[in-house]
Amino acid sequence: MVEVTRREFLKVTGMTLAGSSVAMLGFAPETAIAEVRQFKLARATETRNTCPYCSVACGILMYGLGDGAKNAKSSIFHIEGDPDHPVNRGTLCPKGASLIDFIHSEGRLLYPEYRAPRSDKWQRISWEEAYDKIARLLKKDRDANFVAKTADGLTVNRWLTTGVLAASASSNEAGYITHKVVRSLGILAFDNQARV
Amino acid sequence: MPRILEKGQIEALESRAIPPIILPDPTRVFAARAARLAGLATDDPLGGYLGFAAALARAQEEVVGSPHRPAVDPAAIATALEHRMPPLPARGLTRGREWREILRRVAASLSDAQGFPDAVHVMAQRIGAAGDAELEAIAERLLSAEGRDRDPAAAPVVIAALQVYWVALAAGLDVGRLAMPEEAAVCPVCGMPPVASVVKATAPLDGYRYLHCGLCATEWHRVRVQCTQCGGSRGVALHSIEGRSPAIRAETCDGCRSYRKIFYLEHDAEVDPLADDLASIALDLLLAEADFHRASPNPWLWQPGP
Repeated sequence: MVEVTRREFLKVTGMTLAGSSVAMLGFAPETAIAEVRQFKLARATETRNTCPYCSVACGILMYGLGDGAKNAKSSIFHIEGDPDHPVNRGTLCPKGASLIDFIHSEGRLLYPEYRAPRSDKWQRISWEEAYDKIARLLKKDRDANFVAKTADGLTVNRWLTTGVLAASASSNEAGYITHKVVRSLGILAFDNQARV
Repeated sequence: MPRILEKGQIEALESRAIPPIILPDPTRVFAARAARLAGLATDDPLGGYLGFAAALARAQEEVVGSPHRPAVDPAAIATALEHRMPPLPARGLTRGREWREILRRVAASLSDAQGFPDAVHVMAQRIGAAGDAELEAIAERLLSAEGRDRDPAAAPVVIAALQVYWVALAAGLDVGRLAMPEEAAVCPVCGMPPVASVVKATAPLDGYRYLHCGLCATEWHRVRVQCTQCGGSRGVALHSIEGRSPAIRAETCDGCRSYRKIFYLEHDAEVDPLADDLASIALDLLLAEADFHRASPNPWLWQPGP
């Protein structure tokens, strides 16, 4: 129970101040205690992340406001380079430095959209529909263009008519899984990072 | 072809690394603290306590340059360094008699000081009249892990003398031989908890967070956005008082419900961790209401034990 009492001891309250160094030396902590009633606590966050733009993968700190309550939407108001990150040590390129506009951009894609052939309109679709559509198109293209053997009979099992550009701010594990999926289909045109 | 670094290249890369530990400068620590406290005391809701703290820091400043530079057994320091332990452990170091001389001089300067409540003079005279054994016993209780039988009136002055002693000793160490503690909340020099964090604002340290030792004023680097008490990074938030200085915040942890204040020098370059922690007690009171616990006390503000 030592831990509990020690933690209790470290709570600073009007009551504990009454027996503190301040009071015992003849100073009055009452003003400080009374003053608090007019104050309000504000909550902000710093969140560590990786810049999504390119393969350098700079560390960033995102500054947000909000009380963290379940229903309250926290808003990011500033982004800067993470000084502790070994890659960029607090610095960012002009693209990274303007990430805040990327987040709050009105044109930011928030859900899957589909534009049918010869249509000039984008329509919102569900993630399920998007996955189905992508899988169907991939299969159609692979069935039509997959090369199992070259003209002189050499086995190659390659699929050259589709390429994949994956995410840049993903972990080693996500990169490994992406690689396994893409290569097992026979795709050769594959990059896991955008290049600046 | 493997890239092999030539002799000297590794050292050149090292110069870009974040300095892990910054030892205190005895000629600056107390002078800066005294000046900061004097400034903060002009608008002090703590009823003049910051004025008292300013006088205490001034007294420290006067004695830190005293002719008796303290020394401890170099063999003990060497052994501690060899085992990657704090070389000047607050709990365990055999203190030299110099610290009691420092204490008596600080107490004497406070008993002469004008404009403070009688209780200050009574306390200063009580310390001045105390024998060596009694002073050692008070110090031992203050530096021990348990919060029992502490004397909140005498504590700030006794700690002030111990600070002068430890800062003078710490300044003489070789920073390159110190080991970073695995626990963030332990000073690499004396093993005591930090009083607060400071985020530096001037090159080459800008943006780095350092923890500031409440006893020996050593500063050591810790990655930001990480609870300095439990090491967690989920649920770490910055709390401040609405409409007040953005330089003064508390880094709270939803995981262990503790906090330490964190001072941003980019918003106020004059911040002193101990002084500004003392001057922002309103933030402590609000956080206690929000059910957060202080991870470690301010060495100049002792509360009654359990």
